Amino acid sequence: MGLAALPEFCAAGQFGSEVKKAELTLSGNNYLLTAEFAYQLSDHAKEALKNGVPLFWTLQVKIWRQRDFFGDVTIIDRSIRYRIQYHALLNMYRVRNEITGQVENVSTLSSALEMISILHDFPVFNKNVLLPDIAYRAGVRVIFDREALPLPLRPIAYLSSQWYLSSDWYLWSLTK
Amino acid sequence: MIMLSLQLMSSATQESSELSAMYSWLLLVNTLGSVVLLGLVGANIYSVIRQLKKREAGSRLTTRMVFLFVLVALAPAAIVFYFSMQFLHQGIDSWFNVEIDRAMEDALELSQASLDQRMRWHLKQTQQLTQKLEELSENSATLEVDNLRELSGASEMTLFSRQGRIVASSSINPSDILPSMPEDHSWLQLRQNNEFVALAPVREDELMIRVIVSVQTQEQEPQYLQALYPVPIRIADLADSVEFAFVRYQEMNYLRDSLKLSFSLALSLVLLMSLLAAIWVAFVSIRQIVAPVKQLVKGTQAVASGYYDQQLPVIAQDDLGFLVESFNKMTNRIALARDETRQASAEVENQRAYLETILANLTAGVISFDATYKIRTANQAAYRIFHIHVNHFIGQTLMELTQSYGELTEPLKSIQRLLEQADDIWQQRIAFLGPNGRQELLCRGTPLFSQEGQRVGAVVVFDDVTDLIQAQKNAAWGEVARRLAHEIKNPLTPIQLSAERLQLKLAAKLDSADADILQRSTQTIVQQVEAMKEMVDDFSQYAKPSKKQAVEIDLADLIQEVLTLYMTKTGVQFKTEYDSGLLMIKGDPVSIRQVIHNLLKNALEAIDFKGQIEIGVHRVQKNNTDFIEIALYDDGPGIKDEQIEQIFEPYVTTKAKGTGLGLAIVKKIIEEHGGAIWVDARRKIGAGFIIQLPATNMREST
Repeated sequence: MGLAALPEFCAAGQFGSEVKKAELTLSGNNYLLTAEFAYQLSDHAKEALKNGVPLFWTLQVKIWRQRDFFGDVTIIDRSIRYRIQYHALLNMYRVRNEITGQVENVSTLSSALEMISILHDFPVFNKNVLLPDIAYRAGVRVIFDREALPLPLRPIAYLSSQWYLSSDWYLWSLTK
Repeated sequence: MIMLSLQLMSSATQESSELSAMYSWLLLVNTLGSVVLLGLVGANIYSVIRQLKKREAGSRLTTRMVFLFVLVALAPAAIVFYFSMQFLHQGIDSWFNVEIDRAMEDALELSQASLDQRMRWHLKQTQQLTQKLEELSENSATLEVDNLRELSGASEMTLFSRQGRIVASSSINPSDILPSMPEDHSWLQLRQNNEFVALAPVREDELMIRVIVSVQTQEQEPQYLQALYPVPIRIADLADSVEFAFVRYQEMNYLRDSLKLSFSLALSLVLLMSLLAAIWVAFVSIRQIVAPVKQLVKGTQAVASGYYDQQLPVIAQDDLGFLVESFNKMTNRIALARDETRQASAEVENQRAYLETILANLTAGVISFDATYKIRTANQAAYRIFHIHVNHFIGQTLMELTQSYGELTEPLKSIQRLLEQADDIWQQRIAFLGPNGRQELLCRGTPLFSQEGQRVGAVVVFDDVTDLIQAQKNAAWGEVARRLAHEIKNPLTPIQLSAERLQLKLAAKLDSADADILQRSTQTIVQQVEAMKEMVDDFSQYAKPSKKQAVEIDLADLIQEVLTLYMTKTGVQFKTEYDSGLLMIKGDPVSIRQVIHNLLKNALEAIDFKGQIEIGVHRVQKNNTDFIEIALYDDGPGIKDEQIEQIFEPYVTTKAKGTGLGLAIVKKIIEEHGGAIWVDARRKIGAGFIIQLPATNMREST
């Protein structure tokens, strides 16, 4: 069981997101993902959020089987989608897990971001998925979903760097 | 396809639409479409500019039409675009104004105030409840909490210590074993103020009022009482509704500029795409319209440069198609007319060639002159008669010719004079000394006049009548000789016999003195009669046609044979030069021998048997016929110029004695053999004769 965390990135600019660390551990029959993320919102994103625009993030984990001559094959692709929205009446931020429907209300933006910055023991796949003596690659990233923005914002989101809030892939190799 | 894509994009801008998710893709596709159209239009413009530079047919028409199309399409589109933008911006701006802003904020504040009031009321209520707990012990407090909750109408009530240890708890819902504990930041506020009140969304759609106050129990450490009061559903709904509207409004307000930008972008894209598509379609259709015009221009150019077989394809049955058809008909007719003209000119050319052939083969020389007396045409016979090469003839005046051909000065000058003077047909006999001896021409000239009566040139026809005149002369001399022989020879014998008889009969009867006179007289008579007989014999020989015997003769042998007879003459040096090989002619050897004898005799007499005689025999070619040429020169006193013309006529002699028939006989024999003899006028020392006789079997003999 060789799990080596090899950070391959990344540009931590003034805003964006970053995978701080990520690892897969075998517990019973399942591989569990534990990861830490960091978010830094741009002024535009903060302003939009403050004005009631919901923002969506997707935490994505992928496992590829490595091949010599052809491209790698994706064998596992799991993701968690979060939505953060500001509520004016309560002056609170609401974090919602779009998969489970679980909702948390927090009073500050930083605590809201904190809520989605730690992933603990997230079951990714069964250990039987991996075959022995084959090289695999694991990757984790954060995607800021620009397509979920309100329609008028979308073209701007593609043109302005203020809306480039996704992280790069955090990759490491994986063998059974 | 463009319309579909634009329609999809327009639908996608409606946020509720399902296409909303595809908005970015549609935007991208439409942008790419615009870029492709821009490329197409750009390529078309580039090609038109290139055609313009090359000045290709139809390029200017294309440019003008495209310009017009673009102008016509652009102007209204630009106006519509401008006002649409204006309306769009004003429309969006009109959704938002200060009153609505304030109303929205006020509504939110109102709902917040209403909730605040309720919170304060619950706080006061809870604070009053704590007084009941203060005197109680921990155990009894646990029981009391249940009562207090029911009393106050709270949905949950919890007593916990400062460290968060739950002392007592009661809930309206017995299944809720674990009470809802305050968040971290609530603790902070609680420790500072000893009280805390806030709205707490317990679940997503349920609003609670969380109140925490400190309780002074008998325990050492202070305790807190937390009560969760439900907000009445009506109020919660209203607050929710206000909040929703406020958030929505705020979001819209925030997105106002983006919205304008989005709509402007979509509108611009629609305009750009439709304009570009229109321009492109304009290019395509203009090209189709201009294609026949282009062909017509090319066709006209081809016709202008002489290709009349140009036929253009008729693309459409419209006005331009009609034009193309007319053009085809026109070129057809032109081609037909050209063919007819060609045929006619070919016929004329044939006629001309025919006439030229006839003229060329005439024995008479024909020369035509233009108005300035320059020679325009001359036939083959003219060249033959004058011995001037074709190239030297055309385009020259006769006077110019005299400069290069001095020997022709006399005849050419007289022809020129006649040409200038004559206003009508003229005829003149002109004699001159050509390279082959004296030549006699019979010239007839006709001046040519145009229809207006202007002199445009002249035609001169001339025949070489030298031989004709010579033949006439020969015939006359032959007749004279024959008469002389007949009339004179007959009385000569009786005269001679009578003189001899006188001598015989009278010699004895006379004295010696008289006898001597008689003797001398009769001798003179006899001698003179003998001489006369000889002369008459010569004449008769000249007059009678020679009995010709055609035999192959080698001239070199024959001349050498004759020469041996004269070799003994001392003081004369003979120089001979013969071409190698056989120099054969066909003729009568006796006559030819006589010719050589006569010429040699003449030469020997001319040089008085002292000096040098040259004889050459050569092959020459003249008028495609092979001749053997005998050249005989002496270095005597030569022949005077005025005698040259008549030297071959009978009774012309430079010698003291002689009949004067020698050269006449020579000429007669040579002409009977189809040859020619003339005095070599070029020879300045002594006299020279050239004889040319037709050669036989030249090819076989060489």
